[in-house]
Amino acid sequence: MRLHRKARFLSAALVPMLVLAGCSGGTAGSDGKQVNLTVWSWDGTVEKSVPGFEAENPNIKVKVVNAGSSYDEYTALDNAIQAGSGVPDLAMFEYFAVPYFAIPGKLADLGKFGVDGLEKDYVRAAWNDVTVNGKVYGLPSDYGPSAMFYNEATLKKAGVNEPPATWDEYYEDAKKVHALGGNYYIAQDTGDLFFLLSLIWQAGGRPFKVNGTKVHIDFTDEGTTKAVAFWQKMLDEHLLNTKITAWSDDWNRALNDGTLASQIMGGWLTSTLPDRAPKAAGQFRVALMPQWTQGDKVGAENGGSAFGIPAAAKHKDAAYKFLEYFTHGAGLSPRVEAGAFVPVTPVLDSTDFQSKPSSYFGDQKVGAVLAQASNSVASGWQFPPFFEWARSIYGDLVSKFYTTGEGSLAGILEEWKQRMVKYGNEQGFTVD
Amino acid sequence: MGHPSRLDTSAAATTSTDPTEQPVPARERGRTPAGLAFIAPFGMLFALVYIVPILYAAYLSLFQQKLIGGNTFSGLANYRKLVQDAQFWDSVGRVFGFTLIQVPIMLILAVALALALDSRRLHGIRFMRVSIFLPYAVPAVVSTLMWGFLLGVKYGLFGSLDDALGVNLDPFAPNTTLISIGVMVTWAFTGFNMLIFYAVLKAVPHELYEAAALDGASEFQVVRRVKLPALRGSLVIAVIFSIIGTFQMFNEPQILPSMVANSGITTHYTPNLYAYNLAFTGSQQGYAAALALVMAAITIGVAYAVQIRGLRNAFDH
Repeated sequence: MRLHRKARFLSAALVPMLVLAGCSGGTAGSDGKQVNLTVWSWDGTVEKSVPGFEAENPNIKVKVVNAGSSYDEYTALDNAIQAGSGVPDLAMFEYFAVPYFAIPGKLADLGKFGVDGLEKDYVRAAWNDVTVNGKVYGLPSDYGPSAMFYNEATLKKAGVNEPPATWDEYYEDAKKVHALGGNYYIAQDTGDLFFLLSLIWQAGGRPFKVNGTKVHIDFTDEGTTKAVAFWQKMLDEHLLNTKITAWSDDWNRALNDGTLASQIMGGWLTSTLPDRAPKAAGQFRVALMPQWTQGDKVGAENGGSAFGIPAAAKHKDAAYKFLEYFTHGAGLSPRVEAGAFVPVTPVLDSTDFQSKPSSYFGDQKVGAVLAQASNSVASGWQFPPFFEWARSIYGDLVSKFYTTGEGSLAGILEEWKQRMVKYGNEQGFTVD
Repeated sequence: MGHPSRLDTSAAATTSTDPTEQPVPARERGRTPAGLAFIAPFGMLFALVYIVPILYAAYLSLFQQKLIGGNTFSGLANYRKLVQDAQFWDSVGRVFGFTLIQVPIMLILAVALALALDSRRLHGIRFMRVSIFLPYAVPAVVSTLMWGFLLGVKYGLFGSLDDALGVNLDPFAPNTTLISIGVMVTWAFTGFNMLIFYAVLKAVPHELYEAAALDGASEFQVVRRVKLPALRGSLVIAVIFSIIGTFQMFNEPQILPSMVANSGITTHYTPNLYAYNLAFTGSQQGYAAALALVMAAITIGVAYAVQIRGLRNAFDH
């Protein structure tokens, strides 16, 4: 390919120039020249820490841009990296998207900025989320420890006075709730992948094992099998509402009228539940996920995100300065005040956070429960680098089962694995 | 891709019913630089927005993008893969089936409405003409949302109907979603086709009707012997338009899944949706480009076959 050789020559000629430019950019902050940082974020709280940062660093101006949520942003970032222009200095990633960018070298390794010293201040599982093959590629900025949001009034009506502490109790309570009437269910499920994964996660299943570019997928390990069989039983016995999808208008109605007794979701639900179910104010409470063994305190994760520095970013030093500021340093407090839930232990352990009663949740000290949920998240979970694609096709596979009952969850997961194996190998990974 | 020019020529060919009226062929007029200058603005735009993108897509389709290993030249590998891709053929089969059933229903409805409007026996023709055409002016995104609410079983009109009749029909179950989409598309495009037919009927010379009346033809005979033959040419155009439209179906299956869970809409529901997902979620732009080109070739092939067949029949009469 002649064209390619020419392009390579051209880039070889350009590299020294870029390096020079990079040097001047790097020192700009300290010798008085202004640095303009661009941050891509769909988390509205990040902006809150900009004024404080700019006051401390008069030479750095920060511009926070919403370049779309989740995969819209990833597409935009991929395009910018491919085009070689318009790459932001910091970008937001859901935890499962970190390997997708880190493994092909699109993210900067934060090791040289002394990031290792911060590890002790982060929730262990969140730190694990930003670590890929032993290197840290981002700092956790918000977190979704799995928790159970239950409607106390509905459970009481069904004769359940204590929220289910184990999955066995959850199963029994589900029957009691459904006995209230045809519309009453303990929860809904129309194929929520992230819930199923959190259930597997908590049960000790580790279906994805990633080592460099090698990925091993196995949905038959003990923990996975246990979790999947349990949920299959819940579905088979029609104890879940399979007509209502989370985030739909139906869902809001059911949350308001109390016909859905519980939600097992990320802790971030606290930020949207009061808006979605204002009529249920005072009825909801938060608890840890039901346990597989009585007395355990094992948790899982459902969502959360981090910020990383693209390898092609221009102002990496300044970017790291701001990154540390709003995910770990003084920039945290305005964000937490604005409702951010951050996996930073000094914040989670502070009496301020732990003892604040929440009126929507009947003056329960929600922060304390979620802090405990965060600290109990089981470690060792990994996402494959092509998870973003994988989750997009999961919906293709579940419709039939959820509408007709034909097939099984285990069968769906096996088919999903086959598709991932094919795609992953095509993409240059070694997947089995 | 590629349809506008094809359609223009077919439109010109079908509307001139008498072969002797054909204009003098271009080559006999000779080529002059002045003529070229006149078409240059068009030619440049045409090359820029039409030829260049196709060539670029063809170029892209020869590469494979990998997360590990980057962009590599792969020759025709994308095309070979496409031929064996069950998901691709699933989507192609779906739009073929959809076209075979939805297009005839829609066109028969449109012809019937056009004939009714043309019958001069109705009051408020102008109002009906506009109101039947109006859905065409509603963006597909909006109409999909609207129909989603209308047909939704939980909170929509259909839910109330189900309750009232004591039945359990779900327009968005995996087996019924395509029918619902057919209803949406029919609603949106019947008026457009009706307007084409109505315009053609309006152009039928009055003398023909007078002659038919003198010969004692009944209203039905007038429809069969005068009106329907007049519609034949425009029917071919409408069929081609509709085939192109349904082969490119995208908005409805793209939006519905966010409203209804487990409607059976997959990421490869239609060829366009599949290409979109391949390019933007699967980061396989080369493969998506190959798919787009193959789909364009299939569409052009089908449209061309319809055109040739339709025209032959038109000239037979």
